[in-house]
Amino acid sequence: MEKIRVLVVDDSRMSHAMMDGIISRTNFEICDYAKTSAEAIEKYKILSPDVVTMDMNLPDADGLECSQRILELNPHAKIVMVSAMRDANLMIQGRAIGISAFVQKPLNENELLDTLRMVCQSNEDSLKILEESYVKTFIKVLHKNLFSLAGVHSDMSYELSTEGKLEIDGIAIIIGFTGKPIGRAIVHTDIDTMNQFARAILGRSADEILSDEEANECMEETANIIAGRSVSMINDIFKDKELRITPPGIIVGKKLSIVNPKLTTFNIVASTELGDLKMNIGFAGGE
Amino acid sequence: MDVKLINPFIDAFMTIMPQVGFQNIARGKVALKEKAADSLGVTALVGLTKEIRGNVAYNMSDETARFIASTMMCGMPVAAFDEMAQSAISELSNMLTANAATNLTALGIEVDISTPSLTIGDGFTVKISDAQYVAIEMIADGHILEINIALK
Repeated sequence: MEKIRVLVVDDSRMSHAMMDGIISRTNFEICDYAKTSAEAIEKYKILSPDVVTMDMNLPDADGLECSQRILELNPHAKIVMVSAMRDANLMIQGRAIGISAFVQKPLNENELLDTLRMVCQSNEDSLKILEESYVKTFIKVLHKNLFSLAGVHSDMSYELSTEGKLEIDGIAIIIGFTGKPIGRAIVHTDIDTMNQFARAILGRSADEILSDEEANECMEETANIIAGRSVSMINDIFKDKELRITPPGIIVGKKLSIVNPKLTTFNIVASTELGDLKMNIGFAGGE
Repeated sequence: MDVKLINPFIDAFMTIMPQVGFQNIARGKVALKEKAADSLGVTALVGLTKEIRGNVAYNMSDETARFIASTMMCGMPVAAFDEMAQSAISELSNMLTANAATNLTALGIEVDISTPSLTIGDGFTVKISDAQYVAIEMIADGHILEINIALK
């Protein structure tokens, strides 16, 4: 099994030795040390480690500043802050800039390893689980319900999203999930497609009146049904997930973006004769 | 909507904002509203489930969002509402709602919260409920943050 590479940022030799002592017998390996913020940024660029441990006090900057610079290079960088002070404000600031976790000095072997494992929870494994258990269930339910609600056949496709934001031009229905894992689904489409779907669902012909409100409600109800049925199917299969859905929030507008920092998201497209209905589902990993 | 459900959100704001660097926190107008709200430019939506269900939307202007992000990051200038600033606002809405959830638990109401979704753009609307919702203006160091709450 490939080792998980750790860049240790700390100016004290003793910390290096302790870190080495803890990490050497595990599936982590220290790929390098950095003693200053400048060195850390340089080495991060060259080595692109899987995870960084960051001491709070560095000779040329504090750990927050250094983390910020690394997160500017890679917004998905995994950084574990190591600090002698367990300061609530520090943790809040750290979270705000995107630090993944915090451990306190003196280092406790189990705590450090558990934290590193949690932060690095193999991306590939958890992606596979999300895809097989959740994404495919949503696709199945979406496909089936578009047929039963609107009477249309849809060609389904999906991909892991690499964009941090979702572009919206029309309507987006946001439904949150709580349980394991937490996350949210966003059903979205353009206004024209929404109207086409609403007409099909309500059985209105093109020359009959359809108000914006009716069309929005139709989309909202469709999203609610799809999220609700998907979640109950997942709960039936996995007894311990206890997934619940929140009521829908409806966003209407042009040229919007929806961002969910720290979520792993998938784009699902249902291509139909009425237009493309899109769904983006995202889950928080690790935490 | 039961008014006693509102205080946990106001208390959360009063508790969390000083922790992230704000000095003067005050409550502004409170209103009952219906239908969709006009976004001020940046809206973070967080859903709640379990014993009560609903949504809370934190609505603010782009300028306020940048000011808050900058304050949270120890005064670092935030010229554009970029990824780092988005992450800060998202984290703040998560902290505020999580704290409100803890306050609700103290009232004997268990809730779970979803991840925040941040919508950014000009002239969009946000509908969080079919029925009435409460809109509270909160003011942090002169900047207005509108909290829309719909729970049942």
